[in-house]
Amino acid sequence: MLREPLLLATILIIGICLVLFVLYPIVRVFTYPSLKDFVEVPRNIRYLRAIRNSLLMVILSTSTATLFGFLFAYTVTRTDVPLKRVFKLISILPLFSPPFMVAFSYLMMFGKNGLITAHLFGLRVSIFGWHGLWLSETIAFFPVAALIMEGVLQSISPSLEYAGRNLGATGFTLFRTVTFPLARPGVAGAALLVSILILADFGNPIMIAGDFSVLATEAWLRVEGWGDVSGAAVLSSVLLLPSLAIFLIQRYWVGRSSYITITGKLTQGEHDPTKWYIRWSLFSFCFLVSVMIILVYVAILAGAVVKGWGFDWTPTLEYLRSIFSRSPELMHSLTFAVAAGFTSAVIAITASYLVSRKRFPLRKLMDFACILPAALPGIFFGIGYSIAFTRPPIDLYGTAVIIILSMIFWNISMGYQTGIGAFQQISPSLGEAASNLGAGSMKIFWQIEAPLVKTSFFSAFVVSFIRAITTLSVIVFLATSNNVVATFTIMNLVSDGFYGKAAALTTALLLLAFAVLGLAKLLIGKRMELFRI
Amino acid sequence: MSVPHIKIANASKSFGPVEALKDVSIDIPRGSFTTFLGPSGCGKTTMLRTIAGFYNLDGGDIYIGDRLINNVPSHQRNAIMVFQDYALFPHMNIGANIAYGLKINKIPQEEIRKRVARTVQYLGIEGLESRSPGQISGGQQQRAALARALVMEPEVLLLDEPLSNLDAKLRMNIRAELRQLQKRLGITTIYVTHDQAEALALSDQIAVMNKGQVIQIGSSWEIYYKPKNTFVADFVGTANLVPGEVAEKNDRAVTVDVGEARLQVEEPNLKIERGERVTLCIRPETIQLSVAEAEESLNSFQGVITNHIFEGASVRYWIETGKRKIIADVFDPSDQGIYTGRVTLSVHPNKVHILSGASQGSN
Repeated sequence: MLREPLLLATILIIGICLVLFVLYPIVRVFTYPSLKDFVEVPRNIRYLRAIRNSLLMVILSTSTATLFGFLFAYTVTRTDVPLKRVFKLISILPLFSPPFMVAFSYLMMFGKNGLITAHLFGLRVSIFGWHGLWLSETIAFFPVAALIMEGVLQSISPSLEYAGRNLGATGFTLFRTVTFPLARPGVAGAALLVSILILADFGNPIMIAGDFSVLATEAWLRVEGWGDVSGAAVLSSVLLLPSLAIFLIQRYWVGRSSYITITGKLTQGEHDPTKWYIRWSLFSFCFLVSVMIILVYVAILAGAVVKGWGFDWTPTLEYLRSIFSRSPELMHSLTFAVAAGFTSAVIAITASYLVSRKRFPLRKLMDFACILPAALPGIFFGIGYSIAFTRPPIDLYGTAVIIILSMIFWNISMGYQTGIGAFQQISPSLGEAASNLGAGSMKIFWQIEAPLVKTSFFSAFVVSFIRAITTLSVIVFLATSNNVVATFTIMNLVSDGFYGKAAALTTALLLLAFAVLGLAKLLIGKRMELFRI
Repeated sequence: MSVPHIKIANASKSFGPVEALKDVSIDIPRGSFTTFLGPSGCGKTTMLRTIAGFYNLDGGDIYIGDRLINNVPSHQRNAIMVFQDYALFPHMNIGANIAYGLKINKIPQEEIRKRVARTVQYLGIEGLESRSPGQISGGQQQRAALARALVMEPEVLLLDEPLSNLDAKLRMNIRAELRQLQKRLGITTIYVTHDQAEALALSDQIAVMNKGQVIQIGSSWEIYYKPKNTFVADFVGTANLVPGEVAEKNDRAVTVDVGEARLQVEEPNLKIERGERVTLCIRPETIQLSVAEAEESLNSFQGVITNHIFEGASVRYWIETGKRKIIADVFDPSDQGIYTGRVTLSVHPNKVHILSGASQGSN
């Protein structure tokens, strides 16, 4: 290794970046408050309430999101329910949209002055509160569960189900004795991952939960209301521990007890026709959920073109025009996310190359530091950056750099894991052959491996870009008037009741996200692997 | 073998644009060991899965006994399959795997226990019942999968390349065991493989398939020595396919001019005309070599050895005869050593076979 200075330099640079921008901010969150602040937690009634509320929401929303996800995945992979491809397509949409969008549009549809509740049915109810949060989180996060479990159900060797049928198990018996037991580890894994997302969810509760505060929103209120950074750090730490625990359980325990094996040939399956009552129950369910998803987008698009949502329904293009003509936050969102997405993909793929192909001291640590951000709630990461990098020795307060850096490193795990997967599939003998013919490490990387992982690089870029442009929780502590991004402005607009402008800005964000996605799809086609979880 | 146990009549099946089975008809006698043999994608597995009831036919009928089973669901056919990847349920131990079918069919506990015990003993896998499928060897998994099928006392046993995941030596052993077991139990068995040696060794009857069609049905001997066309001759074993023209014909034999020589073939009552183009099939082991510069005797011609490989029990030679290369196997080379240079090849008239449909030439 010492004979290859370029390789050594690369390892050092990436290592230093990871220590400085992943590990250091985490440590700062724990060291910034005094010990007394941590001890105080069980005595603070607001903290306890936030903990209880977070726990409640994790249990409620995880259960429903996992159930919805499983039903969708089962419908898509195992039944002949009509329109199932359409349902699948619709269920993917929320994955590429800002997570707070669901809450925002349900507020417009089902709120106190909502289009459906108040104006269509004349009801005086509001979705504001914990039940609105439950609904929003279920709709926002079940697609992740569905995607994971679809993979799980698909990877169950069809011959196992054939064997079960051949030996006499049909219909529900087959499901109960073969299909479900085989999928159970996958279901558990999906539930755990979804619970991390729900625990960390900031956008939905801030918009729809009102004074039902959860850990993430309470941490934000500490800073926003009292300027109490220590309190926010303490709450974020309380939030981190269960996230990290769940993450480790998911990764090292459930991940291992999986039954998924890649065996033999995947034969073309012909399933028994689904019983009519099951077919139509699943159809009705998927139809209803799909309507709820479509409603999200309808509300946002409609909200962007009416003058005053809830009182003045005159169509107008004023909001959209003003957004597209002069909106520094939209420009920031775009440029920051492009820069962050690109850099994140470069670092992630390079790190995955180093970890999977090279032997060097602290390799395990590099692996850990690259995976860790996946377990960090955005709020926690954001507060870490605001403590670590807004005061000397590193003062980046109010700069574009601090936001871009936070986006780069918060999203690094996705690209990293895509890269690791890709390198596992490329036989090391290719590199060995090149090395045998005289190529050095860097030549092997750029001439042999890089062309083969090009697709992974694009995928990493797209995922990082979309996560960066739609994130609210990470940047909420870092945004100032100089470096404000669209999601932050949307949050403020919604809380002040300016729905039209917020909807227009959200529409613009969506357009950008889907444009990049479409472009990538066009460029690299089907091989793109967007969510490797 | 008056009434076939399984009768497949004009079966056809498509997957989208791909025709997997085209008008397949096979009769399978009770208690026989029948093999569907062919290259991958020939339709053999589709045929097997259709008998198991995993696929529905687009056309044609399948009978077990005199019962039409086209629309009988898989679990009511009592045609139990052993899968290529064994399909042992990874979330159950071996005992539970074997007992699964009996349990589903609500057999009383006590009887399940007895039947499982008997079957594992039969197959020599006692003591593995509490292990999980991942904890036992490939050969043991194979037996466990077989046990799970046999414990059902199936009317028909279906085997989908069950030996393909085992190493060569184990494959040979289990092959012999399997044939013995099947004979002892007398279960009508259908076996799918692309390994022609396996098919020849195991089967009472072989159906050679290609591109969704049955090309030839017959005993191992017939398939090997009397292949119907160049595809079968080439797929089963090694064959020298020599094109030629019928020069003479009487009621006992046909003489074919192949260029280097005239070869007499003992084929009584063959419908063939003088001047017709045919292809001869000569198996390498039927050719005799000698160094003597032999006089032009019956069915012999000259050649020069270009290459050879020593295989222990035999030596394989590649011999240039002027117009083509001939492969010849000489067994027990311990006496005469390895031949080199010029040799005389000869082949007995009753060991040459004329392929029908030979005008299509070798493909």
